[in-house]
Amino acid sequence: MARKISMKQAINEALDQEMTRDPSVIVLGEDIVGGAGGDGERDAWGGVLGVTKGLYAKHGDRLMDTPLSESAYVGAAIGAAACGMRPVAELMFIDFMGVCFDQIYNQAAKFKYMFGGKAQTPVVIRAMVGAGFRAAAQHSQMLTPLFTHIPGLKVVCPSTPYDTKGLLIQSIRDNDPVIFCEHKNLYGFEGEVPEASYTIPFGEANIVREGKHASIVTYGLTVHRALEAAVTLAKEGIEVEIVDLRTLSPLDMDTVLESVQKTGHLVCVDEAHPRCNIAADISAQVVQQAFGALKGPIQMVSAPHCPVPFSPVLEDLFIPSGAQIAAAVKRTLAWGKH
Amino acid sequence: MPASPFPLGKNELLQVYRTMRTIREFEDRLHVDFSRGDIPGFVHLYAGEEASAAGIMVHLGHGDRIASTHRGHGHCIAKGVDVMEMMKEIYGKKGGSCHGKGGSMHIADLSKGMMGANGILGAGAPLACGAALAAKFRGKNEVAISFVGDGASNQGTFLESLNLAAVWNLPAIFVVENNGYAESTSRDYGVAVDSYVDRAAGFGLPGITVDGTDFFAVYEAAGEIIRRAREGGGPALLECKMVRFHGHFEGDAQTYRGAGELDDIRANQDCLRKFSAAVTGDGLISAAELKSIDTEVLKLIEEAVKEAKAAPLPTAADLTTDVYISY
Amino acid sequence: MSEHPQAPCVGIIANPVSARDIRRVIANASNLQTADRVNIVLRMLTVFASLGVPRVLMMPDKGGVRAMLLRHLRRESNLHHKFPVLEFLDFDPMSTVDDTLRAAREMRAAGVKAIIVLGGDGTHRAVVRECGEIPIAGLSTGTNNAFPEMRESTITAMAVALFATGKLSAAQALAPNKLLEVSINNGERSDIAIVDAVISNERVVGARALWKAESLAAVYLSFADPQAIGLSSIGGLLQPVGRQDKGGLAVQLTEHPTQRQLTLSAPIAPGMMRDIGIAHWETMRAGREFEVGASAGVVALDGEREMAFDRADRVTVTLRENAFFTVDVARCLQTAAQRGLLRHPSPQSKKET
Repeated sequence: MARKISMKQAINEALDQEMTRDPSVIVLGEDIVGGAGGDGERDAWGGVLGVTKGLYAKHGDRLMDTPLSESAYVGAAIGAAACGMRPVAELMFIDFMGVCFDQIYNQAAKFKYMFGGKAQTPVVIRAMVGAGFRAAAQHSQMLTPLFTHIPGLKVVCPSTPYDTKGLLIQSIRDNDPVIFCEHKNLYGFEGEVPEASYTIPFGEANIVREGKHASIVTYGLTVHRALEAAVTLAKEGIEVEIVDLRTLSPLDMDTVLESVQKTGHLVCVDEAHPRCNIAADISAQVVQQAFGALKGPIQMVSAPHCPVPFSPVLEDLFIPSGAQIAAAVKRTLAWGKH
Repeated sequence: MPASPFPLGKNELLQVYRTMRTIREFEDRLHVDFSRGDIPGFVHLYAGEEASAAGIMVHLGHGDRIASTHRGHGHCIAKGVDVMEMMKEIYGKKGGSCHGKGGSMHIADLSKGMMGANGILGAGAPLACGAALAAKFRGKNEVAISFVGDGASNQGTFLESLNLAAVWNLPAIFVVENNGYAESTSRDYGVAVDSYVDRAAGFGLPGITVDGTDFFAVYEAAGEIIRRAREGGGPALLECKMVRFHGHFEGDAQTYRGAGELDDIRANQDCLRKFSAAVTGDGLISAAELKSIDTEVLKLIEEAVKEAKAAPLPTAADLTTDVYISY
Repeated sequence: MSEHPQAPCVGIIANPVSARDIRRVIANASNLQTADRVNIVLRMLTVFASLGVPRVLMMPDKGGVRAMLLRHLRRESNLHHKFPVLEFLDFDPMSTVDDTLRAAREMRAAGVKAIIVLGGDGTHRAVVRECGEIPIAGLSTGTNNAFPEMRESTITAMAVALFATGKLSAAQALAPNKLLEVSINNGERSDIAIVDAVISNERVVGARALWKAESLAAVYLSFADPQAIGLSSIGGLLQPVGRQDKGGLAVQLTEHPTQRQLTLSAPIAPGMMRDIGIAHWETMRAGREFEVGASAGVVALDGEREMAFDRADRVTVTLRENAFFTVDVARCLQTAAQRGLLRHPSPQSKKET
């Protein structure tokens, strides 16, 4: 029986093991150690939510606190990657990508292509995503579609501690730029994680629950909401299959299509806003590639087209709920029947 | 025999001349060919600014990195990027520096420490900080140089990079190539105070302002700054006041310049003319030696254009290659 | 140009590129920001407005001073601050010392009462070459400021204004100064230095500033202040000579320990002390030609490499006294205080002032 650790601890372990294995791995970010330049404790924070705590004691100056300037330090991580290092830069909240997006999508993402293949940018940008933390509009977005849209970037969003450790190690070893999304509301979520180092390949979705009536495709926190919906639906005799995408770019459409072929009904759930999100992307691809397999219209369940509200009662309405997902499953199953 | 007054020996001076002449002829040829419609896309020419690239790059090796601007041909040539490959790249051909996938604004050669011309102004500054960070970890006293223009010095990325470099004491050098114009906008309008060393001072970094049309002034100042950075003395800023002969991009009629301004700068601020006068005036080098380099360079450029025109175009199969290393 | 062509006019030459050179990097020398130079000028302009100097002529520049000054004057006029009429000389700056030379020449021709100079020794030297009988007042904004005194520009402007408006006479306000004349081959080429003429046996094309102690062969000084930095400190710390004292100082330097009388530690650049081997030194009487012994090298005038020479050239240095005038700011303000020049009778006061 493997021990259980939280997603937060899984991230810490992945970083620790990779930094031990490979001296070219460095970690940069604001307050990832904490207490720099002051008279108090060094490693005062270990990251705003303590994810990187304890690493400084083991790896010292390969953890670098940065001044408050994302363009500069995310850009520096990218430049260092182009020069042979393997930096892991923390963009504290993915919402901050606006201040450094050029470095990510115009520089890192495009070096290999623009330079005719003669470049390698093995940088990982870790960022907290997602709502439910009462952190309000500018600290709670998902924004994953903005990154999956960009050729040259890989985008990863695990939903369990096991997937988190394996995918983060994979991301660090991967030679392309990777945006590694960590749902802040899952940091405390615990699961079984092997102590040894291991990787999980990109582009491989995970079937977290098998079922024959409908397929629910999603990622991140909403995997767990889908699991809640599955329990409710099962009481009514509806067995849903849940596909956890795990990596959004590359995207494992094969597993999605296989599931749709099997069930004929698809519900895509996405915590990102509805316009141009992953759910819309997958829906369009399924319609093109497996139209004949569909027995009812695809349902998309996403957050609404509004910023993340502050008031807890409103924020709780923002994230797709188990009930909304279950309702969507029933809607597509009911189509054409009266 | 009196000691040569030049800080470089004769062979080095000839090499510097060759570098500057190559840049000049490369750019002037593109100017002509662009006006004939031979060249796709945008080109931004460095003619007139050669002394800056040459005066700085002569101090660097392949392990030293540079991050350039949209006006990057001069930096590429001075850093040792292959001229034939560059021309093919500008023509969008296979065998170009980037196999035709990048074009003029994205020519790069990481094997020579050239981290790319960049279409986003100011974006090179953080990248150079990264290269400097990597150099620090490598521990071989290498440096990284970020080139920006007077306009791009207003970008947040540039100012953030000055701070980051200062805070981490990076071997990063910031060169502001102040040619007085950000596209059509004069620095007297767009820059609150026309002094970039003053900006560096705000971050506690020293800076030197030099006449960027004087190779020897650039050479000496760059030499001190680079030496200091190699020895762990940290970042600094070099402002090269210079002129560009051609427009912001080719096709720019430069109507924003004052009457006679262009004629005056070509007559009085030509860095190649100044360099030639200095080295021949002293008798160290003869006009004939320089002329013979001129002839060789023209031949090289002619060959480069010929080869570029004859080189194969990329195919449809090339369209989606090299997006990732693996996907 | 102005409604009162006879109205007292003062010239200001503000060098935008002084204190910008390589000594920022090799010697931690200070940088003087453009904004600070402009503020110095603005402070003087408000003093001129207060003390009745109606017109100021300035040297134009492309180094950012004019652009920023005009922007600030527009802003200040929104706040209804009063300034004298400010005119820039009508020429296109070349961004070289030629701008300073031309500005001084044109200000002299325009009949300015005095020229205020913002710069280091090099800038002041250039002005002195052209100013003739027009007195100058120096403000140290360069790297090496052996010549101009450290002084708040408000006070300098007050002294200049009192002189320019005739409240102080030339005898009360001005002081005579020495300079060095350097001649190559009996006047074939000649130039001046206002503080130091230094012989370096290294002829290097490139930056003008001289800082490599091992290349120095001789130092000729018009005055030698022990509190000055720069090459004149070699004299100042050996045998001080005041600005108003008769004579100058000639010091022969040597790298060879056997020829050395002593070694002197001197601050030859800001924050930079070096050991200098001294072979010999003597007073320079005015008018006597001193022949330079070195066979080839360059003569640096007030810290900048200016005149190259080789073994075929005969180089001489001669001290001249009463060669040009400066506004003696300390004496001006002292006299103004003693004579009550800044007192005004209070409207209700019955007391005699």
